[in-house]
Amino acid sequence: MMGPSGCGKTTLLRIIAGLEGMTSGTIRLQEKDITYLPVHQRNTPMVWQSFALFPHLNVQQNIAFGLTLTAHRKAEVKRRVREIAAMMHLESLLDRRISQLSGGQKQRVAIARALITEPKILLLDEPMSALDPHLRVRMQAELKRLQQSLGISFIYVTHNQNEAFSMADRVVVMNRGSIEQVGTPADIYSRPTTHFVAEFVGSNNLFDGEVIEVGQDTVTVRCPQGTMQALWREQPHQMGDRVTIVVPAERVFLAIADNSAENKIDATLRGFEFMGSQVIYFLETDTGYEVRMIRQESLDHSLAIPINSRLQLTWKTRDTVLLGERIQ
Amino acid sequence: MTQKLPISTPRSPARWLPQETSLLKYLCLAPAIIYDSIFFLLPLIFLVWIGFWSVENYRAVPGFSLSNYLDIFSQFFTRSRYGFAIAQSLWVAFTTTALGILLCYPFAMALVFLVPERLQRLLLVLAIMPFWTSYILRLYAWQTILNNNGLLNTLLVRLNWIKDPLQIMFTQWGTRIGLLHYLAPIMILILYLVLRNTDRTLMGAARNLGATQWQTFWRVVLPLSKPGILYSAVFGLIISLGDVLSGTILGGGTGQSILGKFPLFSAIILNEYAASTNLPRTSALATLLIGIMIVILMTGFKLAESEQ
Amino acid sequence: MSTQQKRGIDLGLAIAGWVYLLLGFIFLMLPIVTLIAFSFENARFPTLPWAGWTMQWYQELLTDGRLLQSLQRSLIVSPLAAAAATVIGFFAAYALNRFNFPGKNLLSTLFIVPILVPPLILGVAFLGLLSRLNLQGQILSVFLAHVVILMPTAIALIGLRLAQMPKDIEEAAWNLGANEWQALHRVILPWAIPGIAGAWLLAFTFSFDEFIIAWFVSGFEPTLPVSIYTFLGANLSPSLNAMGTIVFGISVVLLIGVELLLLPLLLDRQSSVQKDETA
Repeated sequence: MMGPSGCGKTTLLRIIAGLEGMTSGTIRLQEKDITYLPVHQRNTPMVWQSFALFPHLNVQQNIAFGLTLTAHRKAEVKRRVREIAAMMHLESLLDRRISQLSGGQKQRVAIARALITEPKILLLDEPMSALDPHLRVRMQAELKRLQQSLGISFIYVTHNQNEAFSMADRVVVMNRGSIEQVGTPADIYSRPTTHFVAEFVGSNNLFDGEVIEVGQDTVTVRCPQGTMQALWREQPHQMGDRVTIVVPAERVFLAIADNSAENKIDATLRGFEFMGSQVIYFLETDTGYEVRMIRQESLDHSLAIPINSRLQLTWKTRDTVLLGERIQ
Repeated sequence: MTQKLPISTPRSPARWLPQETSLLKYLCLAPAIIYDSIFFLLPLIFLVWIGFWSVENYRAVPGFSLSNYLDIFSQFFTRSRYGFAIAQSLWVAFTTTALGILLCYPFAMALVFLVPERLQRLLLVLAIMPFWTSYILRLYAWQTILNNNGLLNTLLVRLNWIKDPLQIMFTQWGTRIGLLHYLAPIMILILYLVLRNTDRTLMGAARNLGATQWQTFWRVVLPLSKPGILYSAVFGLIISLGDVLSGTILGGGTGQSILGKFPLFSAIILNEYAASTNLPRTSALATLLIGIMIVILMTGFKLAESEQ
Repeated sequence: MSTQQKRGIDLGLAIAGWVYLLLGFIFLMLPIVTLIAFSFENARFPTLPWAGWTMQWYQELLTDGRLLQSLQRSLIVSPLAAAAATVIGFFAAYALNRFNFPGKNLLSTLFIVPILVPPLILGVAFLGLLSRLNLQGQILSVFLAHVVILMPTAIALIGLRLAQMPKDIEEAAWNLGANEWQALHRVILPWAIPGIAGAWLLAFTFSFDEFIIAWFVSGFEPTLPVSIYTFLGANLSPSLNAMGTIVFGISVVLLIGVELLLLPLLLDRQSSVQKDETA
């Protein structure tokens, strides 16, 4: 579940866990209705952002906690703890106090603790935010591996797009308490279905305009920045409809390089930014609208275009996405 | 097009939620509430009520009459001199509290700003330590120190600083010393905590803008510490008004003060209870004392609010 | 750079400050030192110059049954009253910390008020109630009365400790399957223990030293402070010094406990445990 701060993703997660109330609706976990179950009966363990490990217990006791709440034979509990600890590479840390652990170790203990009751689902609330950046990438891969080997669902909340795209099988994009779009990372990235998703994910250019011609599989739209074409997907539009054309910045090229593309506008280069292996170019149309272009370039092989040069930009219609009228 | 969560027909959500009422809440609060109601509220209400009983033929009669209060006020400044006692108590309480704040404030300042960080905690513990010894025994010790032939006087005469011993016992100065010694640790603690939390960046900014030490104190530190001073004042007043021991052991019961040789109101109440001749009237006196304290507390609240 | 230089205080003011501190400590410590010193002096009344060392006052104390008996009573009543107040206070503090409800402020005020009412008034009031129930004049009455005045401190101190608890560990306990009671005694209680211990120590000291209320209600089974008071009236003996020293000794032991448990609560924003969490 991904979205900006305050969109409700954490609240939703907590509602699933039973830590927040709801006014209406149902929650079903594998066909079982858990809406009326109190939090401690849901078996929807969560990995907290702060890890929430119990300070007065050591690693082993923290992990075993869930099992010790109901009657279990001591030997059985010990066995299960060792099993989980092995899976999370914590065998050597079992006797440590929580205060002696590093961030990454704490996270693994938190995960182990959550998994010991063999839940059907695991909830994770921005678990990487307390870790160092270089650790995050490693943990992401490990987490993904873990999820696949366990075969259970992970519901992962984050505001970081890269995290979401690298690990998710399905992404739920949320904004201001509503779900904007649900889909695979590819869907979200290349085929946004709402304006918010188009603006929030990736780097897209949005052109608002009015339909002036309807064709076989394309429509022609007149925008302040110029006349352009777009592919329609689900339904044709009618003359006069207000629409938005989404053009990914990576799909914008200089007309000099490729003259075959159908859409062209003129713009002036105002600035650019090196981002490692890419360069983002910021251009301004004659109407004062900002357009972005992303090229895969490195410092050595950049185009070195002077600022304030006048350029012609182009893109293929098939790379565009058409959205309906923008809802304010 | 935005997709919304499917909403089924509204029903009540999961029953046990952390924020909502649970049996545990009542079970946890009940013991405290019940105990306070029976052993705190009840006795106090009862006490106030007794103050409205009347006395017939030397026996207390339940009822509701103002006879005790009329009786008290009719002899306020004459026969039983209750009025003078109240005046004496208020006078001692205010002077002791003022003195206490004046003396403890610099002490707390020195602790916060002069003493190195690591030593502060140790010195604070030492300063609070008197609180941990028996109040009554401390007063006894003060007695041996302040007596006419006690330590202080013996020392001063020996050093030839004075000719005749200072009369401290049986005056309200004795009471004040005893009270001060009782109040000081707490006042120091309150003022220490408040001063410690003074925003150092504000002080640094003042110095940076050219303020002298005195100005920084007067215009930054002092105003910010007003809540602490207020708490200390209210605390000091209420404790002093209700105190019996200092006044009796060091002040001799009817200690001499600028106002004259009057007893403290609290001592009167204590003695009248010991004699237990007129329970309703003594209860009325106690209620009177409660009234005075409520006035002080309310004033304190009002002042604290206006500070906000 | 010394502390005062760092803070921009001149030397003159600094010296004055230290002198003032010294004088202040002398004032605070004087009676205690007097008590201890003169408990060993071989003289009927404390005098200077020093009249010689002796242990006779301690011996006299140990042979005087009444004071010892009172000491014994105090040593039974005070820890018990402190324990009762701490237990009731823990549950109340927990509920106040976790739940929000209309009237919560009013309730918090009700819990604090007992400590604001002068013990003189409370003593009178307790006597009134207890004599109706025929419970006055026993050591039990002191117990019942003391719990009332010890509760506010217990609630405040334990509440302070609970306020420092990381919010999520209780939720985490529920989330992992613990019901409210299990979470309370397996997660909240262990966290609260420093606060509970500190509160008990403080309450013990208050009760041990409390005079007025005990004077009113203890009747023929006086606690130590009450005994001392009657003693003071009757016969001034240096064995009171000895008693003072013993009481002081007990207090010092308690004080060490308080220093270890209580001051961290008051002075630091986070406990040392929490500090390590962020490492």
